[in-house]
Amino acid sequence: MNIYLHLPILIVVVSLVYSATRHDNWNKIVHEAVHWGIRMSTFLLVIGAILFCLSTFL
Amino acid sequence: MSSPKPSEPPPPVKLDFVAAILSYLIPGLGQLTQGRVRKGLLFLVCLYALFFYGMYLGRGKNVYLPYNHPDEKGTLSRLASDLYTRFQFVGQFPIGMAAWPAVYQYYVYAPDDPKPPLNGWMRAPSMDEINQLQRDGDKTWDLGWVYTVIAGVLNVLVIYDALAGPAFREVKAAQPGGAA
Repeated sequence: MNIYLHLPILIVVVSLVYSATRHDNWNKIVHEAVHWGIRMSTFLLVIGAILFCLSTFL
Repeated sequence: MSSPKPSEPPPPVKLDFVAAILSYLIPGLGQLTQGRVRKGLLFLVCLYALFFYGMYLGRGKNVYLPYNHPDEKGTLSRLASDLYTRFQFVGQFPIGMAAWPAVYQYYVYAPDDPKPPLNGWMRAPSMDEINQLQRDGDKTWDLGWVYTVIAGVLNVLVIYDALAGPAFREVKAAQPGGAA
């Protein structure tokens, strides 16, 4: 099993729990959790793309 | 023409130490006792899911306190030395009662014990076992302890939420006519 398949649970839990400690309103919690999920996924994808390029083309 | 009245500062935070302790023991329990049931359940399910998923990835052998310094004099000194060699446990410990078996195993540890207490749950594995897990586990043993540490550290935020409420408090807008 690819090790990266374990990542979604981490991203979902960190986004939800962190957002829930910042707000009590559920609309705000979900809104912020989605934003954090997108931010973390984008960051990881960019890092992954950079490492892939370095290992492939360098 | 009068300028608009600036909004009043929110009332001071009332600290709830009992809820904070309860949230340390079991993630979300403090919020449940405060009546914030959905939030409490969210913390409970999410943090235990992450913690035990991490343990599952490490085949149940990545949350432990090693007994590496039996010759060290003084319990605190020995504990500090052992924590230094397994610093991950400092991050795992805030998950609460779920990590206590590791502390118990540490205090009753006897090398080569054929029948360790609690069926060996959270007992420090031997170096051979760790080497085998790292060699054959496709990095999941290490990934697993990272998950358990993140779960523990997230519970620190949950404890603070139980103690003092969320970081951004909802302040009710002042009603026209002076009533707040």
